[in-house]
Amino acid sequence: MSSDEDQSVNQLVHDARSPLNRISMNAELIKLILENDMPKEKGIQAIDKIINACQECSDTLQVLSAQHGNQ
Amino acid sequence: MLNVLLVDDDNEFTDVAANIIEFLGHHVSVAANLKEAYEWLDSQPFEHILLDFMLPDGSGLHLVDHLKKIQSKAQVTFITGHPSVKGILAEISGPQMDYLVKPLQREDIEGVLSKQPKIKPQAKTSSIKRHFGCLIGESAPMQELYLMIERVAKTSANVMLMGSSGVGKEVVATAIHKASQVKGQLVTTNCGALSKELIGSELFGHEKGAFTGAVAKKEGVFERAEDGTLFLDEVTEMPIDMQPNLLRVLESKKVIKVGGTKEIPVNCRVVSASNRTMESIATDKVLREDIYFRLAVFPIHIPSLRERKEDIPLLAKAFLEELNTENGCEYVWTDAQLERLSNFDWPGNVRELRHSVHRAFIMSDPKGKEIQLPHTFESPFSLTKKQNNNVTAGQTIENVEKELIRITLEKVEGNKTAAAEMLGISTKTLYNRLHAYGDFAE
Repeated sequence: MSSDEDQSVNQLVHDARSPLNRISMNAELIKLILENDMPKEKGIQAIDKIINACQECSDTLQVLSAQHGNQ
Repeated sequence: MLNVLLVDDDNEFTDVAANIIEFLGHHVSVAANLKEAYEWLDSQPFEHILLDFMLPDGSGLHLVDHLKKIQSKAQVTFITGHPSVKGILAEISGPQMDYLVKPLQREDIEGVLSKQPKIKPQAKTSSIKRHFGCLIGESAPMQELYLMIERVAKTSANVMLMGSSGVGKEVVATAIHKASQVKGQLVTTNCGALSKELIGSELFGHEKGAFTGAVAKKEGVFERAEDGTLFLDEVTEMPIDMQPNLLRVLESKKVIKVGGTKEIPVNCRVVSASNRTMESIATDKVLREDIYFRLAVFPIHIPSLRERKEDIPLLAKAFLEELNTENGCEYVWTDAQLERLSNFDWPGNVRELRHSVHRAFIMSDPKGKEIQLPHTFESPFSLTKKQNNNVTAGQTIENVEKELIRITLEKVEGNKTAAAEMLGISTKTLYNRLHAYGDFAE
């Protein structure tokens, strides 16, 4: 793998970590909401954000896969 | 409860992280870039900063530099999603700094926030007064300086700071900014470090496409210092043909970005600094006369450390206190060490003193409490100065040797064992030389 390709993979891995981070943090928030009997609307919002972040993460992985011919 | 600043450009992440931090019982403020972070830091103190490494307008390390400049004692935790940055962060992190790698969990945040704070012991033990939050010294020249800062802070006059290298011109600029209690921030730029091509863009900003590489519109330092203070360091090193552009801004209080046509009104106090003497400024023609009178409405001479020797023990104690706090140590000075520090000339001023204290701190026995001072404080610069003064072509080796022995003895206050060690000869040889020269006979 050339250094340009290396850099591109690193960037895509970095891009995938951002939605993963949102997934992790929103899951933590849901846990706190459930533990503290908070309004469920806030929990639903967090779940929606997790679903969106999953899609974003999948898109980034798709780009990574396409770039390296493993589709 | 801690006052936490969260700096990250991922809005969705900051939303949810802010919620969690509040859940943990802390107060949180959010900034999406460095500019917003600086504004928060100017408006209130923070105990902890959670900081993304890469931000749209710079690196998280810029913010760390800014924290040092404003002498913030906030604990910093870098957050990064880039595995390659992890290594760099591990190297720079210390007692005041930590790092986390995304994706984060609640325990990670809880963990770094519960490490707070190592700052309290210093607040308890520090008996050294910092005037305007940053200046140390109780000598008469410093009292005079404080009075000048206090007076000029009440006005909007431009200030020119003069003094030799290492006297603390940037610290005085910070003091003026703090004493002025202005809304805007303190923005610093070094006119000597910028090329002729870049200085216009740095000072006045540029429009997108103004020149090759101008991929986006950029704000200049005048705009960034709006309602605040602009510190132009080494102003006398600015290319003379750029000075008319600066003069126009100082006179009209309006800037035009490079490649732009629109005049943008600006409002900030300009504090400039130079380590040249008044004579050099006039004779070397480094600054246009009209610019000088615009910048030096209120000139301030900052005393050298030689002129305020009584402040040396106070400064040495303050520097050691800072190092002790940063590293969790408890070193103390002895009276004899403070006297030795006070007797040295410090040609590099406060900067050189701070450097020597830091070096001594590193060299000290980690198991002991006493700091280990080196045999000599000479820096390459002070040695060069001395040699230049004393050695000229045509002198005999005997004369140069005699002079070297004389100044070495002077430096160690006549202690022949220390002088011999410094000269790299035995004490017996030194006595023989002294005997031969006669001049130094006791």
